[in-house]
Amino acid sequence: MSTSQAIYAGWMEIPNSAENDLARTHADEAAIAALVTQYAGALYRVAYSVLRNQSDAEDAVQEAFLRVLRHRDTLDEVRDQRVWLVRIVWNIVLDRKRRAKTRPETDDVTELARVLPSGGLSAEQIASAAQHHAHVLACVEKLPSKEREVLQLSAFEELSSVEIAQVLGITESSVRSRLFRARNLMADLLNHARALK
Amino acid sequence: MSSTSHNSNPRIASRLTASSAEETLQLIARLPAPEGLEDRVKTGLKTAPRAGRILHWPASLRPTASWVRGAAAAAVVFVVAGGGWGIYMRVQPTQPARVLVMPHAGGGFSSAGAMRTPQTLNGPILAQPLNTQMDAAETAKAQPVQITPLMKVPAKVVPMTRPGSNAVAGNKSSAQPAVSIAK
Repeated sequence: MSTSQAIYAGWMEIPNSAENDLARTHADEAAIAALVTQYAGALYRVAYSVLRNQSDAEDAVQEAFLRVLRHRDTLDEVRDQRVWLVRIVWNIVLDRKRRAKTRPETDDVTELARVLPSGGLSAEQIASAAQHHAHVLACVEKLPSKEREVLQLSAFEELSSVEIAQVLGITESSVRSRLFRARNLMADLLNHARALK
Repeated sequence: MSSTSHNSNPRIASRLTASSAEETLQLIARLPAPEGLEDRVKTGLKTAPRAGRILHWPASLRPTASWVRGAAAAAVVFVVAGGGWGIYMRVQPTQPARVLVMPHAGGGFSSAGAMRTPQTLNGPILAQPLNTQMDAAETAKAQPVQITPLMKVPAKVVPMTRPGSNAVAGNKSSAQPAVSIAK
């Protein structure tokens, strides 16, 4: 084959891409379905911890996977898929919360009493526990956003401080210092509230 | 550690308070996901609109043979060249704008002695004075008052004069031609 023929053949090469694309699409869909099976629950809990609304949290998870579907070409480049997904859903959740800031933030005590586990407690104890949790959550909302975010993410046992740092895009030492500050602030807020009572 | 020691040491007390607060967050973080969440998400992903789709050739027309590729390349070249030629043939080169050269009289600018006289517009002029009209209205109702249409009085060109000269009086007389006519 002469050089010109080779160039011509190279230029005019039309890869048999139809089957490849179809196969690749199926592979991507299967990979995303596997991600959904594996991480949907964890992502839901992350979303719920911020939004504290079941349907909103589900919507956030759905949106996160839709974003994954849109950027499925970059799926192979992701090193830690779990942290990547948590970061996606975290950004979605924060965005939604920011947009819904005008609405009054209420932590419904009855909803908390319904949702939170009550192992062998009486109705009265469940109600008082729910009140306590609602009070704690109200204090968490009063924290500065940086400290609050670290505190909320640290509540997830499956996320280490390194992973929290990756999710928030900060260093691990910043995570630790923010967590320290958040705990102190929380203690102050709760003690102050107790003193007022 | 007793409850009294909790209260006596504020640092420990605050730490315990903070840990109790974290317990609440951990309780929420441990809440199980609702039933059927994965299925709902998967269904949502299947029904989601895709960003873009590539149209493929039908299997019968798939350009696998080399002659089909050659024909396709020739068709592309033909269309591009034909389009370019068509545009070349249709579009005429723009001709330079014609400039009319006006004949120049004499050379230089001059008014040739012409003077511009402004056309002034005067108000309507009554043919009869107003008091005589009132008397005549009773006697001759049938006769309508005749009002002449606008009369154009040519303005007089006042030559430039020095102040203090007699030109003021002349000006007054020329400025009120309508009144004098009405009187």
